[in-house]
Amino acid sequence: MDLDIVCVGFGPAMGGFLTTLSKGLVNEDGTPAVDSKVMPGMPPQVICYERADDLGFGVSGVVTRGRAIKGSFPELNLDEIPMAAPVKEEQLLYLMDPIGASRRPLSMRLADGTLKALKWMLPVKDHAFKVPYIPAFMEKHDGFLASLGQFNQWVGGQLMASGAVQIWPGTPVEKPLIENGAVTGVQLIDQGVDKKGEPDAGFMPGMEIKAPLTVIADGPIGPVGRQIDEALGMPEGHHHHDWAVGMKMVIDLPETCELEVGTVIHTLGFPEPEIFGFLYVYPGKVASAGIFVPSWFDNPVRSTYRYLQHWLQHPALWKHLKGGTMRSWGAKTIQESGRRGEPHLVGNGFARIGEGSGSTNVLTNSGVDEAWMTGVQLADGVLELMKEGKEFTKENLEATYVKRRRESWLEEESRMAEKARDGFQRSFLRGMIGMAMSGFTKGKMNMSGDGRSPYQRVPTPEEYYKGRISPDGIANLRADCQKAGKSLHDELMNRVGWPEIEYDGQILMSHQDALLKGGKVQAPGGYADHVVFLYPSECEKCGTQVCVEICSGQAITTNPDGGVPLFDREKCVHCGACLWNCATHDPANPEKGGIQFKAGAGGLHSAEN
Amino acid sequence: MSELQIVVCGGIVPDPLQTLAPQMGPTGPALKNEMMLPAVLDPWAWHSLNEAANLAKKNPGSKVTLVSLGPKAKLQQVMMTMAQKVPFELVALDGPASGFTESAEVAALLAEAIEGIPGLDKSKLLVFGGWESASRGAGTTMQVVGEILGIADQFLAVDQIDVQADGSFKVYERVEGGKHQVSVCAGAPAVLGWATGNLPEPPNNPQIGMMNMRTIMPSLQKAKPTQVKSEGLKFASVEQPQQRRDTKIVKDMPADQIAAEIVEWIRK
Amino acid sequence: MSKVLVLLHSEQDGSLAKSGLEAVGAAKSLAEGLGGSLVVGVFGGEIASAANAVAGCGAEKILGVAGADFAASRYATDAAAAEAIAKAAGADYIVAPGTMRMNRVLAGVAYRLGGRVDSHVTGLAVEGGAPVVNRWYYRQRMMGRVQRDVRPWVIAIDPGAFAPLTGTEGTASIENVAVALADGSKRTSVEGIVAPAADAQTIRPDADLLFVAGAGWTKKQADGQSHVKEAEETILGFVKGAGASLGSSKSLVDQSGEGEAVLSFLTHLNQVGQTGATPRHPKGLASCCHGEEPHAVGWRFITERRAINLDANCGWAQGKADVLYVADAFAVMKKVNELLTS
Repeated sequence: MDLDIVCVGFGPAMGGFLTTLSKGLVNEDGTPAVDSKVMPGMPPQVICYERADDLGFGVSGVVTRGRAIKGSFPELNLDEIPMAAPVKEEQLLYLMDPIGASRRPLSMRLADGTLKALKWMLPVKDHAFKVPYIPAFMEKHDGFLASLGQFNQWVGGQLMASGAVQIWPGTPVEKPLIENGAVTGVQLIDQGVDKKGEPDAGFMPGMEIKAPLTVIADGPIGPVGRQIDEALGMPEGHHHHDWAVGMKMVIDLPETCELEVGTVIHTLGFPEPEIFGFLYVYPGKVASAGIFVPSWFDNPVRSTYRYLQHWLQHPALWKHLKGGTMRSWGAKTIQESGRRGEPHLVGNGFARIGEGSGSTNVLTNSGVDEAWMTGVQLADGVLELMKEGKEFTKENLEATYVKRRRESWLEEESRMAEKARDGFQRSFLRGMIGMAMSGFTKGKMNMSGDGRSPYQRVPTPEEYYKGRISPDGIANLRADCQKAGKSLHDELMNRVGWPEIEYDGQILMSHQDALLKGGKVQAPGGYADHVVFLYPSECEKCGTQVCVEICSGQAITTNPDGGVPLFDREKCVHCGACLWNCATHDPANPEKGGIQFKAGAGGLHSAEN
Repeated sequence: MSELQIVVCGGIVPDPLQTLAPQMGPTGPALKNEMMLPAVLDPWAWHSLNEAANLAKKNPGSKVTLVSLGPKAKLQQVMMTMAQKVPFELVALDGPASGFTESAEVAALLAEAIEGIPGLDKSKLLVFGGWESASRGAGTTMQVVGEILGIADQFLAVDQIDVQADGSFKVYERVEGGKHQVSVCAGAPAVLGWATGNLPEPPNNPQIGMMNMRTIMPSLQKAKPTQVKSEGLKFASVEQPQQRRDTKIVKDMPADQIAAEIVEWIRK
Repeated sequence: MSKVLVLLHSEQDGSLAKSGLEAVGAAKSLAEGLGGSLVVGVFGGEIASAANAVAGCGAEKILGVAGADFAASRYATDAAAAEAIAKAAGADYIVAPGTMRMNRVLAGVAYRLGGRVDSHVTGLAVEGGAPVVNRWYYRQRMMGRVQRDVRPWVIAIDPGAFAPLTGTEGTASIENVAVALADGSKRTSVEGIVAPAADAQTIRPDADLLFVAGAGWTKKQADGQSHVKEAEETILGFVKGAGASLGSSKSLVDQSGEGEAVLSFLTHLNQVGQTGATPRHPKGLASCCHGEEPHAVGWRFITERRAINLDANCGWAQGKADVLYVADAFAVMKKVNELLTS
């Protein structure tokens, strides 16, 4: 099938691209501004393929300054978008450990002790210290908060109503079509296949969609973007070594909760120093609350779900949340390398936008508006080329899109942020100091880090729990857990003092119930497994299996027979955590882990995240 | 084989996986956060659309039209997914998709929309729909559509239709006890309220999507705003059942003993 | 004074099904609650014995439509018969059993009478002199209590939801109602009923027990293998031995399943829950089922519920069953089958 522009992935970047493009494709008098090249006489044929079963599935709550979004919608009325509200109050809470299980360095223990001692004169309450000052570079007070799911649905509705572009959800894109170094389109995923991808009843091979321009916005774990990175390599010095998995719940707050709409709470310090948290209060007594587990949290049993449950129960948060009900749940991988993760932005026949194009600002913790901005810039560039009748060559795209990007605040700010997080790669304290240094000097001074790949730095459980659990103890637990097909983290965390979670059936529930009640996770039949263990012999040897421990949906599980873990597609939320949480790697390519994360159908069925 | 004009009545419902709760509004009960929940084509209506497309394919020259009543924004969302599945044209009515609306009123709107389909030929008309919906769950809409259109042959809970060369067709309707009643109808016009049918889920087909969108987009843009009246219908209350039981959890009991307990319970 | 018509159809053998007696019970108490009168209407091929079954129910009269044209369930003729009886009765309320045959025509009949219909009614009461019906919305996930001003009000009650009226047998005197069948009323001819082979019949609406098989039956067991054949034998053995009706979860009947083994005798007709049936049985035993709302709505009308599951947190069991056995269903059910046959 031939199109003028084929687009991959519908998120904020694609929202910005299609919103700007669709407005520019039509003149003020309603006549088409440009003609289709593939269907002469028709308006340009633009289609966006989205992997998830509907728009806005599998994303997150967001607080954003929204500069670019407001640029696209000068009359933006937040009341039109469910769950959106202006920011009213921002708080930064340093959470102390009320349990005593957190693995805190000496510096933090001293800080905690000091805060407790000075409780009478400092804003210390409920084991939390309210940091009296939020640095200007982190403030979002002029912005708004929203459910990105609802926002994406709203944008999708605006676009579909325009009739200028089409968006097809539930259609994963298998790969880019690359000929002589140029991208000539994409190939959709095969349907009617068995788990291994072999033709089955109703087989329909993935169709080739050819287009002079392919716009790639499939995010940091998107298979199309990653395959282009593999084919073209990364620009000198650029890499994807820093990641995080974000997991959250949307909660109907209890009637007694006094948090005001528009309140934003950032937390740090608990359940482990490396884990950051957020809580946003939407209209209608609804909040989005969650945590980030970053790749530099060197715990091999980094279960986001278990840590989320402890974080929710921290007294400073639980006082607001207790008695509430989870109504949605989800998880997503975030690319934390920022500008240093920027791939080749353009080439012959393609352009990259959004998070996968390295637009996230790791200093201001902002990515949605930046992603939107990249889409706007590309659309402006594309319209310029179309109107001038120019081809979508690397050179032309550089002269239009990349030029706009380089000359904008986006570039300026991402340069400042480039090294802001490096300190965290060595320690929490260095990270905090590094962020402050980068922020106050506008990126001129930074704390150095340790830029290794996640697999190079992840210790074994024996190393991580050294001095707390004996190697024999771990071996025994591992054997028991393997026999039961269970992951190791619960046993290990229980052993070092984390209390078992008492389910209330409302907010605290089993991981599987969170999937069913909150994530409504499902997978349609007729698609291949999208998680593939590439090097079974490496898996056999791997005692760490971070993939099992971090899996956000318990879709990857320990194999009771030993060796290669098992994968259950019906539980996968497509967060992509397994992609960067492999403790092994491709023997031929140290940048590539041992798990292939391909295009796949299904996943979360909630647009409230 | 004969040319058929198949009109499918298909509403939208919240994705069945969603958590649903009612709330009382100024005009009666409504679903909490209805506009925030992802929607799908009603499952039974979807089976009927799938069957319609299959039947149209087997009878060249046949045409399938989907008539759908729902909030425009939600219809748009659902059509993004549906349009990739099977070929159809859309007649969209912009109105409520709530299960608390009056089925007879909904039926009147659907019948009016069907009458308004340009070139409608009742001698070739098969009106399809779900036998019930996943929202109202009443199974009382299709019959009224048929009555208004003056169609005397109606079938409910259909799992199969076999159209013969002379235009007559054999219908398998679900009856009690997992059985089917088999009838032969002389031919169109007829109303068929579908159960699940027997067809597999078709794959997403980009070419069908492209083709469908040429008519679906304009239809959505000119979707007629409609009101569904519910005169004389009052809801004393709408509640979620509170069904929490005190579950006695029996662990570590040998299988033999459990079996004995179960058998004793069954025989009690 | 309100007039209540209870509209019935006879079975193929001329008898009245239990669901008909339930409708008579519901209609009678409605008439009493309203201080009104009761009329019985019956249609079918042969209706004498059906009418006799309710001769003593206290009805003012018994109206009937009988004959070969009305023997089988066909929309055009059934609707005409029901319409004629309703018009002859001049009732404000028409109560009928929600059988497949009745459900096919009642909405159309209500339309012809200028009335309104409520189907799947599970409760019927008179409050402040006016009837209130209970019925479910959104696949048994919300219960609505509904009142209407429009008359006649056709109320189709769900089989099993009301107590049948008994002890009403007698000799009925039937007032025959003439039905003028329109041209084209017989364009459809009913050929008969097809049923699955006797040994494959797994749905038994009148069974005391519903056995629900969940997806766990086809999943890998402790030895790393799936045991589909063994599962089939165990399940069928139990259904036969206990005279149970067989239900199943969606994932187990989904034919577009993941290339996973399926149980050969399960079809969509067996499916209970959100997009399947919510059958009524006095007892239910769930095995290897997992799922929270909306899946567990399949349980809603089961009075006593037990479950077998390896997962103590199973959503079908915790808070929804009376007893949960945390055990291997293969082992337990095999033993149960042994005990049932011994």
